[in-house]
Amino acid sequence: MNPKSNFLFKIPIMFMIVFFVIPLALTVVWSVFERTMFWMEPAFTLFSYENFFFSSRLENFLSSMMHSSISVIFAFFIGFPIAIFIRRRVKKVAQHRVMLLFILPFMVSEIIRIFALRPILSRNGVVNSFLMDMNIIDSPFSIFVFTPTGVVIGEIVSFLPFMIFSTFLALEAIPNYIFEVCSDLGVNRKRMFLDIFFPLAAPGLFAGSVFIFVNGIGIALIPTILGGPGSVNAGLIATQAIIALDFPLAMAVSAIMMFTLMGLLYIGHRLFNLTKLLEPIS
Amino acid sequence: MLKTTRRKFLKNSALVAASASMSQSFIMEAMAADPLKIWTIGVAKVTKTWDEMGKQAGVPLVYSAKSGSADQAIQKFFVGDGQKLYDAITDNGGGQEDAMSDNKAIVPLDVSRIKNWKNLIPAYKEGNVAANTIRNRKGEIVGVPYISNADSMAYNKSKVGGDIDTWDALFDSQFKGYAAMQNDSGPTLTTTAVYLKESGKQDIVNPSDMSKSEVKGVCQFLIDMKKKGQFRTFWDGFGNGVDLLASEEVLVSSCWEPIAVIAAKKGADIHYGTMKEGHQTWNNVWMLTKGGKQRGQEENFYKLMDLYLSPWFGARTLANLGFTPQMTGVNEYVDANPSDFDAKTKANIAERLKNKADRMAVKGNSWQNLYPKELRAYQDWWAKVQAA
Repeated sequence: MNPKSNFLFKIPIMFMIVFFVIPLALTVVWSVFERTMFWMEPAFTLFSYENFFFSSRLENFLSSMMHSSISVIFAFFIGFPIAIFIRRRVKKVAQHRVMLLFILPFMVSEIIRIFALRPILSRNGVVNSFLMDMNIIDSPFSIFVFTPTGVVIGEIVSFLPFMIFSTFLALEAIPNYIFEVCSDLGVNRKRMFLDIFFPLAAPGLFAGSVFIFVNGIGIALIPTILGGPGSVNAGLIATQAIIALDFPLAMAVSAIMMFTLMGLLYIGHRLFNLTKLLEPIS
Repeated sequence: MLKTTRRKFLKNSALVAASASMSQSFIMEAMAADPLKIWTIGVAKVTKTWDEMGKQAGVPLVYSAKSGSADQAIQKFFVGDGQKLYDAITDNGGGQEDAMSDNKAIVPLDVSRIKNWKNLIPAYKEGNVAANTIRNRKGEIVGVPYISNADSMAYNKSKVGGDIDTWDALFDSQFKGYAAMQNDSGPTLTTTAVYLKESGKQDIVNPSDMSKSEVKGVCQFLIDMKKKGQFRTFWDGFGNGVDLLASEEVLVSSCWEPIAVIAAKKGADIHYGTMKEGHQTWNNVWMLTKGGKQRGQEENFYKLMDLYLSPWFGARTLANLGFTPQMTGVNEYVDANPSDFDAKTKANIAERLKNKADRMAVKGNSWQNLYPKELRAYQDWWAKVQAA
């Protein structure tokens, strides 16, 4: 390898060190600092972790993980069939155009996308009005918004494209002849799903699930706009700690969140070998 | 050969000194011609653009948006580059000005250079209720108040069937699922404490600076209410608060007055009451940064403060957003400018001024405190309220 290409090879490594490893290390270091009135000072104390694990923050964190997990499950049942449909039923030349449709919502600011759900899901919103006009219900449902259900709906609507993209990418790598062979051998749909689609799409499904889970526990907007009284996730816990000028606590929450997610990624990689997502199937 | 005599030396020294002082004043003047870099909240503007505000003050302005939360200023000035970036900033009086002054982020003001200082309402005179909200711990004036209020409850009059004058309504089961409070421990706990104290439900000495056990009592009350399904949500952000009232998703909400004003403009029958138990009172003040003074921006700052203490500003902030003017002479100004204020606006202004006077006069009012002694207890118990 000549020196020039050797240097180029190091760029991604340097990028990861500067923008991931160092900030992560600093987050952990700062999380054990002592809080002062307006900032923090060097020390070694686990008070912030104690403050997290032995308070209601842990309960908030766990409930946000539960809501995110529910969102992942729903996104799987909605997104996976869509990805299969696009891969199998849409003409090859049109597949990427259809995928482009799912990118369009991302052209609009996230806060607007989330806020726009309120007039649809609220008591006087479009859904309730429709149901009442059709005489399906007598009084409006209150559960669509300002409840955990609202948070889950918001997460699914916001992050479903991640599940569709990553699963489609995994399915796209499956050569057509595999489907043709299955068809020639008379493999039924159930076996095709269980033996072909699901295992080969597993890395994509896992990647999509991680995206949704991470965003679900980290993005504070959704519980703020669609959650009930005091609905919080890990991102909001950290934000509130910063607002309260408790920087070590904010760092501790961030560190806990990062280690939780890195642990999940490690388990996922061991189970599904995520590098497969980028490898063509031969 | 160069010969130096005492006369030549003195003459040259005088020339150097004169030129230095001239260049100094030239530099200061040139700097003062620079725009004043302000960091403030959107509601500090009563015209369509900041350019118009600058023209009215006779000061070119460069505006940067700031949130209402106190932590932002602390971070920007104590750990960030706030001194380099901003000449003048706004923040909450009664806590923040002390913190900023203690850390030398802001400088004492020479109020004799603010022509309209004489207009300032008496509440800020030494010894009066709001005096220490514009002074540092040494008693020096470091802030110029421009808006204030006594935060109360907004209610949908036609839906609740009449006027409301007690916080009881917020916790009344007849509005179960139709009540909201702010998603912020400070105002929500203080407002609830004012209610619990004044209605005799709990023993609380100072709702703005509660002890650990008092914080616990207030939060347990809120947790109980939350578990009973009293609250539809805790609102966060101006637009969110407006939307909840305007869409009639909630019918009673503790909130800022501008939220009620804008929600009413959107068509809902929203009124802003006077609660007999009391309110959380607060103000927002302008401060001159140390960096701003070093860059020669004092004159520009004082000119801008003249605008903020003029009835021109007071009448507009009251008419547009419902904030309390900090100067006298607003009614006279409105009367003298009928082309700017139609009969309806004039009536609104008169009504709001009267309501504000009523609210400010309630005995149980409690001033906003950003840094209560048991801040950690506030935060920890607030997390429990959220988790409940």
